[in-house]
Amino acid sequence: MFREFVNKFRRNRDRRLWRKHPLQKSYDAVIIGGGLHGLGAAYYLGRDHGMTNVAVIERRYVGYGGSGRNTSIVRSNQRSKENIPLYDEGLKLWPELMRELDFNLMCFNCGNLNLVHAEAEAAALKMTVATAQFMGVKSEFLTPEECKKLVPQLDISDRLRFPIVGGMYHPPGGTVRHDAVVWALARGADKLGTHIHQLTEVQGIDVEDGKVTGVRTDKGIIRTPIVLNAAGGYSPTISSMVCIQLPISVLPLQAMVSEPLKPFLDHVLSSGRYHAYASQSLKGEIVTGSHMDPWPTYNTAYTSARYLKHQGEALIDMMPCLRGTRFMRIWAGLTDMTPDMAPIMSDSHIEGYYMDCGWGYFGFKSGPITGRYMAEWLASRKCPDILKPFSLRRYRDYNLQRETGATMYYTPWN
Amino acid sequence: MSFLIDCPHCGPRNIYEFRFGGEVKPRPDENRVTDEEWADYIYLADNVCGPQNEWWFHTRGCGCWFAVTRDTRTNLPVICEEKA
Repeated sequence: MFREFVNKFRRNRDRRLWRKHPLQKSYDAVIIGGGLHGLGAAYYLGRDHGMTNVAVIERRYVGYGGSGRNTSIVRSNQRSKENIPLYDEGLKLWPELMRELDFNLMCFNCGNLNLVHAEAEAAALKMTVATAQFMGVKSEFLTPEECKKLVPQLDISDRLRFPIVGGMYHPPGGTVRHDAVVWALARGADKLGTHIHQLTEVQGIDVEDGKVTGVRTDKGIIRTPIVLNAAGGYSPTISSMVCIQLPISVLPLQAMVSEPLKPFLDHVLSSGRYHAYASQSLKGEIVTGSHMDPWPTYNTAYTSARYLKHQGEALIDMMPCLRGTRFMRIWAGLTDMTPDMAPIMSDSHIEGYYMDCGWGYFGFKSGPITGRYMAEWLASRKCPDILKPFSLRRYRDYNLQRETGATMYYTPWN
Repeated sequence: MSFLIDCPHCGPRNIYEFRFGGEVKPRPDENRVTDEEWADYIYLADNVCGPQNEWWFHTRGCGCWFAVTRDTRTNLPVICEEKA
């Protein structure tokens, strides 16, 4: 009986996705943030560059932050020529990653349908479609009737508060199970030898003669020449440890899921005007979100009754069949919004200090591909061409990216 | 999440009546400022995780700008500080 219990305990322990290690005194690189971007960078550092003496420091647990709080949507129909290639490569990476990591990421390329409700919006959307097509990304403009063919529950009549004028259909987009991605990358990185330290809080970064020399945590001091700030919503907090201000506002994005329903929605539906997007999970729940209260808040237990009402009204207006559906859960995730809706992937005047932040609410779809390029940057100390437009320097040069037209533009100012 | 902000004219009112106006920071001298300093002023922020001094505008009320200190973790307490 006892033996059986011990064996069972051992089996469970062996099934753990990643191991626990004591904190070493020094590492070749320290990645702050045990989310998708941090673990992605750690995984590719080991896989492509043989850098395995690497620590990932996570204050809570792996996937606690934005990596587990997003609504798992992937797509590559961004607005500008700098962004589209990165997102497109990222989108094509998922199936490859699934095979490579031997983990079911539940990739579902159901396609995204982005609705517009006015002629002016339709004109802007046609530009986005044209850009995507020019860059080789599948995207097309649909009439309301064509939209209804894709999503039969859609109401395309004049009854709506904002009648549907058209839609942008992006077939290769869809959903990917977000928790699975984080767990798979953590397991992959762990197998390569990376140390993942959960429940470890970074309290300071040591800099000497303009060079990073170490990271101070509540579990001890680590000496390292390279630090990557991949802390998502808390990236400004980490950044303030080296006295670098960021053009970021941290806003909480709210999302929720309904009770499970019979399968009826096999596309990711979104509308900027209604300020709502929805998809049906494989469990049948309607996953919906998009509201941000426009003032900075560091609180993931942040939900508002105002948002619940708004979201309910928007969904019922577009898809009347949802009337009476109950919501089961509601939560919030911190988004690090930049003024131009494009991320910051940058080095700094401090040698060895790198950042991968400012992703706003695009951090999920771009996670693994960014990890790959950031790993290349950290290992070779040379910025990959594809990441060059995303430097922090662009704000001082007044050379902001033209990404605000990609989707709902959120800043504290609107 | 709803909370109240204490407007110096109107008293405590629902947060949705207000508009956030950014962190309180010193405005550079417009006659001497360099392009870089101006970019820093308009884009960069401290993003304090804790009590922060910031501007609010009472959009759906008296239409006045004022500074308050708000804890960005809890949205409490909200103390009215000065009138502008």
